[in-house]
Amino acid sequence: MAINPMEQFAVKPIVPLHIGHYDVSFTNQSLWMCIVVGAITLFMTMATSRRALVPSRMQSMAEISYEFVANMVGGAAGEDGLRFFPFVFTIFMFVLFSNFLGLLPGSFTVTSQIIVTFTMAGFVIAMVVVTGFLKHGIGFLKLFVPKAPFLLLLLLVPIEVISFFTRPISLSVRLFANMLAGHTLLKVFASFVIALGGAGLLAPLAAAPMFLIVAITALELLVAFLQAYVFAILTCIYLNEALHLHDHH
Amino acid sequence: MMAEGATTTGTEAPSGAGFPPFKTESFPSQIFWLVVTMAFLFVVLWRFAGPRIKGTLEERRGMIQKEIETAQENRRKAEAATVAYETPLFEARERARAINDQYRERAAEDVKKAEAQADANAERATADAEARLARIRAEAKTHIAGAAKDAAIEIVSRLTGERISDAEAEAAVRAAQEA
Repeated sequence: MAINPMEQFAVKPIVPLHIGHYDVSFTNQSLWMCIVVGAITLFMTMATSRRALVPSRMQSMAEISYEFVANMVGGAAGEDGLRFFPFVFTIFMFVLFSNFLGLLPGSFTVTSQIIVTFTMAGFVIAMVVVTGFLKHGIGFLKLFVPKAPFLLLLLLVPIEVISFFTRPISLSVRLFANMLAGHTLLKVFASFVIALGGAGLLAPLAAAPMFLIVAITALELLVAFLQAYVFAILTCIYLNEALHLHDHH
Repeated sequence: MMAEGATTTGTEAPSGAGFPPFKTESFPSQIFWLVVTMAFLFVVLWRFAGPRIKGTLEERRGMIQKEIETAQENRRKAEAATVAYETPLFEARERARAINDQYRERAAEDVKKAEAQADANAERATADAEARLARIRAEAKTHIAGAAKDAAIEIVSRLTGERISDAEAEAAVRAAQEA
């Protein structure tokens, strides 16, 4: 029996598909993205379809998600940042559901793929840059010039530029690494359970890694939410900088 | 770890590294489907779910606001009704007290007037009585003097056989009275 903790991250084609000379096959990862989006769509539309004044539990959860993100955007990016609410809401819900559904045994974690998180982070930064230039024109470049004596600026401006351009990397790697590490850890401990369980006299010892899996799963639930939150709030903070430069600090 | 990672990754042409997330041959497919699904989700949340939830939340907030306003309106009305009920009561009580005071004052005045009247009457009666008494006493005094003079004349004539004049008798009586 092959127990490779990395095997769960493998992308396997289900329906081969090509556009031009690009391989855009429908894979297990595509399937799980569809499941994630389908689950969110069901959750956000079915639960709210009755529009009850006294909400059911599901409707309440949908409303809480909405208000949570709306408060996040309004608080971190200001009133004019609320224009970006649908965008931030989409990212938050997508990451949150990917992280949560990825915890189901046998599922595929969409956010454990660096290219997925990097594409999202790249899109966020691209939007920040476009918004910044649209709003402030060339003045957006003042973002890289903090208030400091000229000699210090020689040092600070390159630092600001580098930190800005490493944002998509930090943003994507943070989410990707968290998901990857957590799931790998779960798989490693699971393999211990199986290995010990088949080891005759040592079999009762399998309870120890089993208990650890339960504990780590609980931790991973927290991480799943936290990383979705971090991704969304950083998006808001970057958008705030694009909208208000350094005014709001 | 019996199998090589590369043999389990299933993609047609496994590249060198055995770490699935870094296998670049699946990247076009991942990006493509990510964009497709996210775009779909964005439209759903932006056009359908978002506005609906927003509508529900605003409706609820509006209703709560309206209910609170109705409650405040009702309280204002209740307070006005209390005032409307208590004001006439208060006024009536005030009027009753005023009437009461007025009558008490008038009664006191009457009593005072009656007392004054009675005092005056009594004084007058006393004065009358005293005057009459004085007159009677004066009269009595003259009568006594007359009688004493007659008696003195009589007594003197009986004792001495002499007749004394009225003036002498009178002077003698006065002398006796003054002694």
